[in-house]
Amino acid sequence: MEVFEVFRRAGHRDPFEHCGNVIAPDSDMALLLAKECFLRRQEGQHLWVVARSDIHSFSDESVLELAADKSYRFASAYRDVMHKRERAHDRVRELQVS
Amino acid sequence: MSRAFEAVVTALADDELILGHRHSEWTGYAPHIEEDVAFASIAQDEIGHASSYYSLIAGAGHDVDALALGRPADAYRNAVICERPNTDWAFTLARHWLYDHADDIRSQALEQTSEPKLRQLVTKIRREERYHLLHADYWMKRVAQGPVEARSRIASAMASAFAEAGGLFEPFELEQEALEEGWLPVASPVLRTRFLEWATSALDELGLPGATGREETAPSEFVASSSGDLIAGEGSLAKEPAVVAEGGGRRGRHTDDLRELWIAMTTQYRENEGATW
Repeated sequence: MEVFEVFRRAGHRDPFEHCGNVIAPDSDMALLLAKECFLRRQEGQHLWVVARSDIHSFSDESVLELAADKSYRFASAYRDVMHKRERAHDRVRELQVS
Repeated sequence: MSRAFEAVVTALADDELILGHRHSEWTGYAPHIEEDVAFASIAQDEIGHASSYYSLIAGAGHDVDALALGRPADAYRNAVICERPNTDWAFTLARHWLYDHADDIRSQALEQTSEPKLRQLVTKIRREERYHLLHADYWMKRVAQGPVEARSRIASAMASAFAEAGGLFEPFELEQEALEEGWLPVASPVLRTRFLEWATSALDELGLPGATGREETAPSEFVASSSGDLIAGEGSLAKEPAVVAEGGGRRGRHTDDLRELWIAMTTQYRENEGATW
């Protein structure tokens, strides 16, 4: 027996989302049991099961942490760009006039 | 609605109700939590099918609940195999597998009925039954190919379940009238032959013996080659050694198992007249 993670989607255009897991001897049986455990009230229209052993991740999740300031990777870090551009336009106009 | 229609639909409904009740007894006790949920759901499905069948013949003075719970035990027309106690998971599984395949063969024929309401209902029920068949087949395959203990338990359970499976095709009460009225498409003995043909090859494929293959003393001997000759071959169908010909359930001849089940199943209904839930 092994653990299978269960994913389901609400509609054809929705992404599959993790909803829980079942313990089963193989993937066919896992699907069969997942249907009754996670789709018995019409919560979605399709199911995936994935053996937990087939899911790969970092053994040390601290490698995902950011050590230094990476604010430049966020759009919010560029809020003043519009103002800078307007100031640049103003400066160009001033130079043209003089 | 003819008397024959009422008789046949009652038997169909009673099979589903009584088996559904037995299935429901596993709730909280199934081998593992996922299966508990799945099997309880199958039990609900079967009882739901019974309710739909009863609604075809319900009328003033006998609503669905009264038909399901308000009759004396000897008025039920289910096959005896449905009323047998669960005993263990192996027997439950063997019966679930035999019943759902028998029901598949029976409902496939019923889908051709000229009675529109019955036809629509059977078509709807068959959609849900696809899951039951998958569930039964997956389990049987894994247990039959499993370790020695699993194989020996399922083989012995199959032997006792198979011995009574033929009762599912004991002719209905008033079956001759139903056939003459033209809405019952296939006679029970014909379906019984189809069922036996299916069972013989399916059991052979799983390497399981029929009812004659009692080899409890040597469980490790249960291999396809040794069991195959017990149930396969042209002779076995002609002799029909593995299946008891008639169960009696369709004529109301039941065992004490049904009376015990009936008491548990109908207590609330009998003691709280008019209760709703």
